[in-house]
Amino acid sequence: MHFFIQELVNGITQGSLYALIALGYSMVYGVLKLLNFAHGDLYMVGAFVGYFVIQWFGGSTALSIPVPLLLLFMFLLAGGGVGMLGVAIERFAYRPLRDAPRIAPLITALGVSFLLENTMLLLFGASYRDYNTSAFISFNTGIHIGPLNIDLVQLMVIGVSVALMIALTLFVARTKLGRQMRAVSADREAAEMLGIDVDYTIAVTFFIGSALAGVAGVMDGLAYNNIYTLMGFIAGLKAFTAAVVGGIGSIPGAMLGGLLIGIAESMVTGYISSTYTNLIVFGILIVMMLVRPSGLLGKVPLQKV
Amino acid sequence: MKVRISLAAMALTALVAAGCGSSNSSTSTTSASAGSSTQAASSSGSSKACTTEIGIEAPITGQVAVLGDEQLAFAQLAIAADNKANGTNISLVQGDTQLNPAQATTVTQQFTSNDKIVGVVGPAGSQEVEAVGPLMGRAGLAFISGSATNPALTTSGKNPTFFRVVSRDDVQGPEDANFVIKTLHPKALMIVDDQEVYSTGLVSSMIPVFQKAGIKVDHESVSQKVTDFSSLVAKVTPQTTVVVLPWQVAANGQQFGKDLQQEHKNATIVGTDGMQSSSFTIPGSYVSAFGPDITAIPQDAALVAAAKVKYPKFGTFGPPVYAATHVIDEAIASVCKSGQTPTRASVLAAIKATNEPTSVLGQPIKFDSKGDLINAKWFLFKINNAGKYVLVTNS
Amino acid sequence: MASDPRTTDVSVEAKQDPSIGVDEWVARTAQRREFAPGWRGDAERLFERMGWWPKLAIAAAFGAIVPFILSNNFQLQVGINALLLALLALGLNISVGWAGLLDLGYIAFYGFGAYGFALLSSNQLHPPTGIHFAAYVSLPIIAVAAACLGLIVGLPSRRLIGDYLAILTLFFGEAFVEFTNNVAPSKLGGPNGIVSIDPIRAFGHSLISNKSYFWFLLALLVLTAAALHLLDNSRTGRAWRAVREDPLAAGMMTIPVNRVKLMAFSFGAVVAALAGTVFAAQQVNVFPTDFDTPFLILIYAALILGGAGSIGGAILGGLLLSVMLDGFLRSPTEAGYLFYGVILLTLIVKLRPWRKLLAVLAATVAFGFVVHAIVEAISKSAVAGQPSGGWISSDLHNWVVVPSNATTAGNIGFVVLLCLVIALIQVKGRTRTVLLVPTLYLAACVWEGVLVENPSVTRQLLIGAILIVMMNARPQGLLGSKRVEVV
Repeated sequence: MHFFIQELVNGITQGSLYALIALGYSMVYGVLKLLNFAHGDLYMVGAFVGYFVIQWFGGSTALSIPVPLLLLFMFLLAGGGVGMLGVAIERFAYRPLRDAPRIAPLITALGVSFLLENTMLLLFGASYRDYNTSAFISFNTGIHIGPLNIDLVQLMVIGVSVALMIALTLFVARTKLGRQMRAVSADREAAEMLGIDVDYTIAVTFFIGSALAGVAGVMDGLAYNNIYTLMGFIAGLKAFTAAVVGGIGSIPGAMLGGLLIGIAESMVTGYISSTYTNLIVFGILIVMMLVRPSGLLGKVPLQKV
Repeated sequence: MKVRISLAAMALTALVAAGCGSSNSSTSTTSASAGSSTQAASSSGSSKACTTEIGIEAPITGQVAVLGDEQLAFAQLAIAADNKANGTNISLVQGDTQLNPAQATTVTQQFTSNDKIVGVVGPAGSQEVEAVGPLMGRAGLAFISGSATNPALTTSGKNPTFFRVVSRDDVQGPEDANFVIKTLHPKALMIVDDQEVYSTGLVSSMIPVFQKAGIKVDHESVSQKVTDFSSLVAKVTPQTTVVVLPWQVAANGQQFGKDLQQEHKNATIVGTDGMQSSSFTIPGSYVSAFGPDITAIPQDAALVAAAKVKYPKFGTFGPPVYAATHVIDEAIASVCKSGQTPTRASVLAAIKATNEPTSVLGQPIKFDSKGDLINAKWFLFKINNAGKYVLVTNS
Repeated sequence: MASDPRTTDVSVEAKQDPSIGVDEWVARTAQRREFAPGWRGDAERLFERMGWWPKLAIAAAFGAIVPFILSNNFQLQVGINALLLALLALGLNISVGWAGLLDLGYIAFYGFGAYGFALLSSNQLHPPTGIHFAAYVSLPIIAVAAACLGLIVGLPSRRLIGDYLAILTLFFGEAFVEFTNNVAPSKLGGPNGIVSIDPIRAFGHSLISNKSYFWFLLALLVLTAAALHLLDNSRTGRAWRAVREDPLAAGMMTIPVNRVKLMAFSFGAVVAALAGTVFAAQQVNVFPTDFDTPFLILIYAALILGGAGSIGGAILGGLLLSVMLDGFLRSPTEAGYLFYGVILLTLIVKLRPWRKLLAVLAATVAFGFVVHAIVEAISKSAVAGQPSGGWISSDLHNWVVVPSNATTAGNIGFVVLLCLVIALIQVKGRTRTVLLVPTLYLAACVWEGVLVENPSVTRQLLIGAILIVMMNARPQGLLGSKRVEVV
């Protein structure tokens, strides 16, 4: 029983990170119908920003400010910085291709991905950077009931992710900007004709999506310590999978997809074998896709002639 | 518009033609200027003739750039040190393989077609060596790897110009396994490979030894790209007292150890040479390596100081490449000293005749007829509570 | 009718009999497409009148001469890689360009062909002798098996559309690598792959040298292009195009949509598998890591860069991308040609009139010398660095500022360069021309100081930059045609 809960918590932690990145994917896809392959690299940039914040304040073993303040700085700087980076990328790489067939911005996104990954490689080198979280958030905090061990960092990751997802859902459902985003997702030309500033709305969408990815990057560093310049590639693929499995364009779907993949990986590793984890998880996802062809919470797209 | 484009195309062709024409002359001017400066410093007239190139094949970009970057940095350090010591003018040509055998083939073709290259360091992976060995053999180009440990590379005979400065899986695996059985007496253990050939080779040589000793073995497998091991760690039962991690990325081992601590598991980690690094410092762990901790060897002080400036977080992939590059440098220098211009054949012969009494790896370097290092030493370290490597035993 | 100021052709009178249903602007298209006078017009007329197969034959003839021009094995290998990528792009064009299905598992068919050939032509199965079929036995077997595999993979396309199908094919692609890496290591080789594969062997002749593989691949490419062209002009091709544009309407026009989609997958799989067999034979070994996702990304980039939906585009994109990646960018000197060449090309094409271009170039040169002199006066070490070897760097020594420790300054310069380029895109007019000068100079300095020192990373950076620039300049690809997607 404890083993099951342990694996479940591990899975939810990893799944929340996938979910946050998948949210950005889904949002951008919703407004632009673009699969932004550079999204995973924004996640990586966020992780590095968080690392440099720690170094700025003295390094993991000799922090000069209290830990909650450090975390606040990390989240704000990573979220804000990566958000601005996302807006810049949209402005210069994707805006000229807004009316091109969908396949063209795909390649631009690939180009941006290469550029981001290798700029970081050039500037910072290939060594793994270590957050060394246990130096400032000790392992003894958290829940320890018998063999069950839930770390404070894991709880924080899950908590922050849930809070952000709730905030995002409320934002999209209640605020004016959220309404504008939904309108632009539904039909960009009609939204433009109704007086919505499409460029601004798309920029805000990118900002929010990228900021989420940046915050997820910081949390990945906190939870799993090792960050390197190519970590975004795999995370991006998994988040893309999560977004599509949950129904692309749907925000709750992205969350569900991410959590599902995280839990599936964890359970398969725990109960079957880590050798076949990827194969079995793929198998599960294939079966799910065949059972619900438009994703778990996706809307069946209306086909019109 | 069309006129513009044709004008541009003509300009481009003119550029390329100018480049092709002057490239030979410009490289000779740079080498001449460099040659004249060394001539002022050293009196050996052969310094000008000892201008040659060495290639390095490593995963400089790509998913395992952390390994290739370290190898490249140490190769550059070796070349700089040897150029200064021998008065040679050897330059390094980079070949990025991304640990992909098809790319390694292309890079090897590039090197074999470049007549200035007389020796190659690398490739890093055993798969790549299998892919490029015959090509190198046909070109008579010697290549020394600092990390390819698959036994078949030297026993198969398909790679006549291949050498390595590290010991083989079929030696290291059983030695490690026997140590674990004799010293740690586990009833059950978990052994995890990282889906690369280095790891799977070691695992397949260790598991039979463990099974013969009656130990319950849980064989797991995670990719090198995974950074989250909490699910795997949760599977470590209280009876599992040893976890064997023959991994190449030490930082992942560090994370695994942290996860063990966090989930309050008391298993001891036993790592192999990929884990010998300043990135892996879990107290109580054992690490077996074919190379000593160079920070503990007094003769290596200069290298350690230079490495700390250039590549502070080095592990176990850099020093063997340093040693390999040094072997080639010395071979080239000896050919130059005897008055000849370095060619592939002469450098190959000189490498075969290498007989260094000591090296940065803390042991003499001499190759047997198949290309393996003779008497490759084996070291075992335990990490103490301060995170320092303490030598426990060696062969 | 009054002469229309929009047309510049004064040769033909504007008086025309108005035709029913044709408006004036359309009627003038024939005039506008009047051929140029002189020999250029004759050449254009001849070209238009030639059928497709003479053009293919001429291209093939050019291709066949190439191995005689190339001097060494490396260049032949680059050629072989280019032809492989072109062949793969051709196959991908069927599902992505013609049928509009996003197939992200395409690389698995390539791997299937390679592994299939490896298993049928090596000692892997049935040790110690193994199976060693001749090529005329194994190639057809693999082609048929690949077609079946394509059918199986395409089956979900009945229920899944668009990006959902993409995900499924992505799973399949990833699953292939996992499968060959982890499952049945004794039969499939595991991470150690399959080694010592026979060369392509038929009727006593084997293909051993790079030259022979080049010609074999060229022949395969030409045959495939011809077959696909015939397919494109047939009912199947028209059906594919209909399904791409509007599956529902196509279905209503009695096109069997599901069958057509399956055929797209099948044909693409066969082409990829054939490319895979040649790959396996030429490389002599296959490993699971040869078929991972980054290579799939390359095939997509090649196809879309060249123009999805066009055979010539796919081939051109494959050749161009591969030659750039392996031929140019692997050597710092050649990468320098590409870098400076592309910058100069963009300037020449974008800056008009030519006076402006000359002014900018002259200003950049002058600016450079001035800055170099100032920096030299301030501190000697800031210019002590040697611009590393390359065709013009010895001449550039007095122009670029390269400090003796170029890494930190170079990194900062690189980031500043990126910001300047972004700023350049934002501003317009005179500010842009003025800002060009320091940007060009900084680009040269950063190149000589930092980027040439790290050729492997620069290679990836340049590919990323080229992809972004090319897609922004020509979103439809080099030889593609502009399409409007109805979403």
